[in-house]
Amino acid sequence: MKEYLYLFRGGDARRAQQSPEEMQEHMQVWGKWMGDLSQQGRLVGGLPLGAEGKVVEKKGDVISDGPFAEGNEVVGGYLIVKANDLNEATNISKQCPIFEHDGTVEVREIQQMEM
Amino acid sequence: MESVANNKARLQTDEVISHFFRQEYGRLVSRLTGKFGTAYLELIEDAVQESLVKAMQVWPFSEIPENPSAWIYRVAVNKLLDLLRRNRNTNLTDSAPEHIDQQEMDLALDHELKDDQLRMMFACCHPVLPPETQIMLTLKLLCGFSNEEIARALLKSESAVAKALTRGKKRMKEQVEKLEVPDEKELKERLRMIQKILYLLFTEGYKTSRGDQLINKDICLDAIRLGHLLQENPLCQTPRTFALLALMYFQASRLDTRVDESGMLLTLEDQDRSRWNQAFIDTANELLNQAFSGDISEYHIQAAIAGYHAVAADFATTNWDAILNLYDLQMAINPSPVAALNRIVAYSKVHDAQSGLLELTKLEQDERLLNYHLFYAIKSELLIETGEVAFGKVMLKKAVELAENEVEKCFLEKRLSNLA
Repeated sequence: MKEYLYLFRGGDARRAQQSPEEMQEHMQVWGKWMGDLSQQGRLVGGLPLGAEGKVVEKKGDVISDGPFAEGNEVVGGYLIVKANDLNEATNISKQCPIFEHDGTVEVREIQQMEM
Repeated sequence: MESVANNKARLQTDEVISHFFRQEYGRLVSRLTGKFGTAYLELIEDAVQESLVKAMQVWPFSEIPENPSAWIYRVAVNKLLDLLRRNRNTNLTDSAPEHIDQQEMDLALDHELKDDQLRMMFACCHPVLPPETQIMLTLKLLCGFSNEEIARALLKSESAVAKALTRGKKRMKEQVEKLEVPDEKELKERLRMIQKILYLLFTEGYKTSRGDQLINKDICLDAIRLGHLLQENPLCQTPRTFALLALMYFQASRLDTRVDESGMLLTLEDQDRSRWNQAFIDTANELLNQAFSGDISEYHIQAAIAGYHAVAADFATTNWDAILNLYDLQMAINPSPVAALNRIVAYSKVHDAQSGLLELTKLEQDERLLNYHLFYAIKSELLIETGEVAFGKVMLKKAVELAENEVEKCFLEKRLSNLA
């Protein structure tokens, strides 16, 4: 199997407006989704990303705070999963809870070294 | 990387106790407001909210921390200090502490958190605020419900709740700068206010309105949780507190049986008693036993009545004599239309329906009852029992007209159509 990267974007605004009760529920849905992936042996890794960051250009001549792109472009976290091909990886991503908050998942194949 | 693939951590996300986030909100807002003062209330709420968002985002990826409360706490404190620094130019921040002793926060003992919440309760239930505002503040600040959830539970619009809370917080801040337990001379009255609000809160949750059943049940259980804060505090563990808590436990024991699968109301007569929560009933009885060490209050009487229902195998074999005596007592010390009507039901069980009707005529002078659907509902039942079905139907129609609660209205309509 190959490895694919999921980049999670957006959903921040909706997330922040939830009630504590809703947040706990949502967190449990994420936990279950990732748990299932893990039990299937598909989960390689993943981490959440902080909201703040920098964008460095021209060897540091230009450094901007960011990426303060549109709310729905900020990457909030990533996962690496195993799948046979892009289609399968994409299908698996459809269950991601981020869609509850109108977020998106970008699916990219991780290039392997072995040919 | 390994942490995400760790199955053990995975399961833990599901194991976070029910309502943990919601109640943590209440605990943290209470603690931080206790430390910083009410002037910072909104900033504190923002900080706590943000820390819960962060937990929600981060925990699924790794593991639930060993001490989830301490984790959220730490994040909330840091966020709060951050917000304070950013607000540096306002005079609001002049008196704010520069930093907080992190250790002190981490080691917050269980009883300290309870004391914090108790003090917050006194603030939310300040007598200068209208009772409805006190309820909303309690639901928001102590129970962690959102404006939308409060609106659904109280059958109001979200904007009405938001407005009431904004006004309420402002007035609360004017009255209370630092959270504290009132001193001796005020304590008795202030405690009564809290008890009254807790019972109103419980009643709101207990109503079988077509609102959100799940939230309603949570509200009842939270009212009980807050009642325990009173019961566990040496200054507040009065007989009234015990009686109130007993009453709530008795009623809560029936929470799952008041509507059938189709959402139709089930009266005490028709509820499946095997599904009454026996543990709650036992707890209620224990509490009630501890309540009889001083003055008898209306809570004592209501709890005792609820107790007789709770131990009865069915409606027919209930100890109606004892209940009637209790209603007589209640009418003597704390008369109310509902009590008067419920007394009639007990009266007609002890004597008969005809006598009950006669007794009912004594109440017909009370204008409040003439617009109360329950009056007509009870009258119609008694009439039907004595064979006066036609007149009974007329009264039932009147009850349907006057009923405001959708579920009750539906119940009465069904009864009417069954008689046709």
